[in-house]
Amino acid sequence: MSGLSLPLVALTQPQLEIIAVAIVVSAACALSGVFLVLRRLALVSDAISHSILLGIVLAFFLTHNLASPLLISAAAATGVLTVWLIELLNRTGRFKEDASIGLVFPVLFSIGVILISRYAGNVHLDVDAVLVGEIAYAPLDRLSLFGQDLPKALWVMGAVLALNVAFIALFFKELKLSTFDAGLAAALGFAPALLHYALVSVVSITAVGAFDAVGSILVVALMIAPPATAFLLTNRLVMMIVYSVGAAVVSSVGGYFLARMLDTNIAGAMAAMGGVVFMLALAFAPERGLLAQFLRRRRQRWDFAARLLAVHLLQHEGDADAQYECSLPHLHEHLRWTEAFAQGVVRLAQQQGLVTRGGEQLQLTEPGRRLANTVLGQS
Amino acid sequence: MSLLIDLFTDHTLRIVALGAGAIGAVAGLLGTFAVLRRQSLAGDAISHAALPGVALAFLVGAAAGGGLAKHPLMLLAGAFAAGWLGMLVVTLIKRTTRISADTALGIVLSVFFGAGLMLMRIIQDLPTASKAGLDKFLFGNAATMLRIDVLTIGALGLLAAFVVLAVWKEFKLLSFDPEFMAVQGWPVRWLDILLTTLIVVAIVIGLQTVGVVLMSALLVAPAAAARQWSNQLGPVAALAALFGALSGVGGAVVSSTIPRLSTGPTIVLMASALVLISLTLAPARGLLWEHLRHLRQHREVRVAQVLVGIYRLASEHPDPTHPHDIASLDAVGLHAAGNTMAQLERRGWAQRANGKWGLTQRGVAEARELEAGGAL
Amino acid sequence: MLTTTDTLAVSTQDVTVAYQEKPVLWDIDFAVPVGARCAIVGPNGAGKSTLLKTILGLIRPVAGQIEIFGQPYARQRRRVGYVPQRGSVDWDFPTTVLDVVLMGRYGHLGWFKRPGSADRELALTALTRVSMQEFAHRQISQLSGGQQQRVFLARALVQDADLYFLDEPFTGVDITTERAIVDVFLEMQRQGKTIVAVHHDLETLNEYFDWVLLLNVRAEALGPVAEVLTPENLRRTYGGRSGLIERGARQ
Repeated sequence: MSGLSLPLVALTQPQLEIIAVAIVVSAACALSGVFLVLRRLALVSDAISHSILLGIVLAFFLTHNLASPLLISAAAATGVLTVWLIELLNRTGRFKEDASIGLVFPVLFSIGVILISRYAGNVHLDVDAVLVGEIAYAPLDRLSLFGQDLPKALWVMGAVLALNVAFIALFFKELKLSTFDAGLAAALGFAPALLHYALVSVVSITAVGAFDAVGSILVVALMIAPPATAFLLTNRLVMMIVYSVGAAVVSSVGGYFLARMLDTNIAGAMAAMGGVVFMLALAFAPERGLLAQFLRRRRQRWDFAARLLAVHLLQHEGDADAQYECSLPHLHEHLRWTEAFAQGVVRLAQQQGLVTRGGEQLQLTEPGRRLANTVLGQS
Repeated sequence: MSLLIDLFTDHTLRIVALGAGAIGAVAGLLGTFAVLRRQSLAGDAISHAALPGVALAFLVGAAAGGGLAKHPLMLLAGAFAAGWLGMLVVTLIKRTTRISADTALGIVLSVFFGAGLMLMRIIQDLPTASKAGLDKFLFGNAATMLRIDVLTIGALGLLAAFVVLAVWKEFKLLSFDPEFMAVQGWPVRWLDILLTTLIVVAIVIGLQTVGVVLMSALLVAPAAAARQWSNQLGPVAALAALFGALSGVGGAVVSSTIPRLSTGPTIVLMASALVLISLTLAPARGLLWEHLRHLRQHREVRVAQVLVGIYRLASEHPDPTHPHDIASLDAVGLHAAGNTMAQLERRGWAQRANGKWGLTQRGVAEARELEAGGAL
Repeated sequence: MLTTTDTLAVSTQDVTVAYQEKPVLWDIDFAVPVGARCAIVGPNGAGKSTLLKTILGLIRPVAGQIEIFGQPYARQRRRVGYVPQRGSVDWDFPTTVLDVVLMGRYGHLGWFKRPGSADRELALTALTRVSMQEFAHRQISQLSGGQQQRVFLARALVQDADLYFLDEPFTGVDITTERAIVDVFLEMQRQGKTIVAVHHDLETLNEYFDWVLLLNVRAEALGPVAEVLTPENLRRTYGGRSGLIERGARQ
């Protein structure tokens, strides 16, 4: 496979490989992120991605080898440690939950930074690389397995992606239940605490696997923005997972091309793209998007007002002051509708056959009375 | 001692310590409100969101004419605008969708930061001689602090403190009961914006010294520590400012004495140490005292149990002060450990004679009272 | 329906409140005469708290008009006191009982001014009226539910209002607190003040209040307690929980 021709651009193999890595990384992060977002643990992912630095540094001191698999274990361990410390602080009852998070990860991160600058300053453990990463170098670091020569990042993240898929597939029921009804999950013996730490471990492993490519800080972007986008698009958990991965892939591939165009940091562009995709969903999502909300409110304002008119007429039918209450000027005065709006509503109600009008007096029709009763019966 | 002397003679150290101290004080003061309103992690989001603002400010300044680019106010203004915009987006997301607050913060934090990285790379590729370093922004570079930086920080810090003092009672009510405040007719939304603005200022003035990741810690740690020492808002805020200042100065001093120890992380560790100390040792709320209180309660219960136990045993004899040896006490299930007996002796309720223990008259009276009380 | 607004402390007409297109309050006509002790009762989810908050300007109605002593609420703020539900604040906040009560004076003080000794006097007097003066310097997290309720009441008293709104003041409080609140009610009525409270207990309705609104998204009945509390009205409001209705009607 030497290259691929797209309408505007001819991609070389290294570029294809970068895109492949980007896709795999973003998919894995999105999968990890779905349950984080649903469980309101988004900022725990931020905390973990910072404190992972300490784990990596300690593992590095032990093995002096950045490519060691011990790093992955150290990452998972640091992630669990972070969450455990947060829980510990919570349980003292002296701090609120968000304060606990904000107290734990800076300490771990600081220790990591200090260890690096004091003892590893002359070794290639560039903190920039840990936090920011450089996906452009991915094709250079290769690994041959099973007769295939591919970038190492692709192998590693491929495995991590498989881990995420397996985790979600195996524990889908338990994850779903413990996310939406922790009490019931515990009662059914699903051990939500265990599941919680398992999820955290998977997140940590994903984070450290991805940092090589995109840096641990941007892992947060890929873990949170695509699931949030999906959350705006659907109510169903399965679809949310699908949309998350979709949004993530669009963000990462789009980000890659954006970065090429502007000749800038690829990971940053991927995160920015994630934000753009989210904003698009925020604005244009059907039902939940801002535009949809605006249009719906406008449409329903009229419908609602017509129903309100029917209910109002029903409530005051046969009252001593019915003649006043059921007149057009009253609508303007007491319902606080402008004259123009009141006229419009009356016209709509007439069109819908709910109301008849004699001069300034309004009369409820049979269908109108039925509608008003239905509305009141529902509420 | 030589450290203190250094503080006065070493110019660079003085600058850094003053600057860091001021940053810590302002962060501590405003962090009090952030923490009480459960907005502890807003600092994290603002810190990260500021990056594109700094980069854009630099680009604008470079385009306008080189010298302007590195002017501290210029970059501060950029950081402020971006941080403020970030908080606006967070509020928008929270208000118009069902997305939770932490997710909204996470989106703004990471997306803005990513955009910032893009801009930073573009800057780094520019042919101009002076460039803003990513390292400096991520981790802060206290060593390059200049007098003008300290003056800027000081001025802005004083301004923020002045505003807080002026609307102190308003901020207090806003943090405690915004609904009641609205009913009273206050413009709650505007006050909220004001407070958020001040928090953004507090974060932004410290970014270039302490760095992105760690500035958010200065918003949370001093306030969290201070809360353990007092139950009134005024003292808590004052103490938070003090703790913040101490962390700043202490961190600066310590990191200057030990080679290759960056200032930012050292400040954070100082602040965190203060939290740990406060958590353990603060009177009333401190965990240590709580533990000691528990121990004391347990001891009281044990002493009472043993006293009444001995009394009941001794009541089988005509003389209630009749001595028994430990073995017979154990036989009836009374674990009369050494220190419990020592307590009884110290209070004058029991005395030892020939290796056996007997109650004193006072001990008998005390035991009778306890029994009458019905506790045992 | 009463039409002379100068004898009405509160009057609403056709107030409708919706939450995401679902109506929570329909076309509410509500009136409270000056000097009345008015209860708003109804089943859960009937919109009782919502009505209170709408009158106080915390919620925007989709339609309708609200008047306090014949004027829009915004012009009458000084004459209104508010006792919210206890659960609406974080009681771990670092402040004392006296401080919370002083917050009731903030409206009078206006911008920038700090409470002075005169305000402190008023606060202590209010605390004495609810028998909480010994707790003045206690941190609020150390209070029981009933004590918290009394602190909120003292805060409202200090507002020196003519019209008081209370949201479930008797829910989950001890006997001492309940008596203290009722004493304050009676004293207020003697002073010609008006009270509107969301109430949940039909048994004590007749004893504590003299005016009632039966609410279940619509205004089902309004008027003096003795007249309005009929089995028919209760059945319409509560939807056929007969034990409650019979007991309530026996008042």
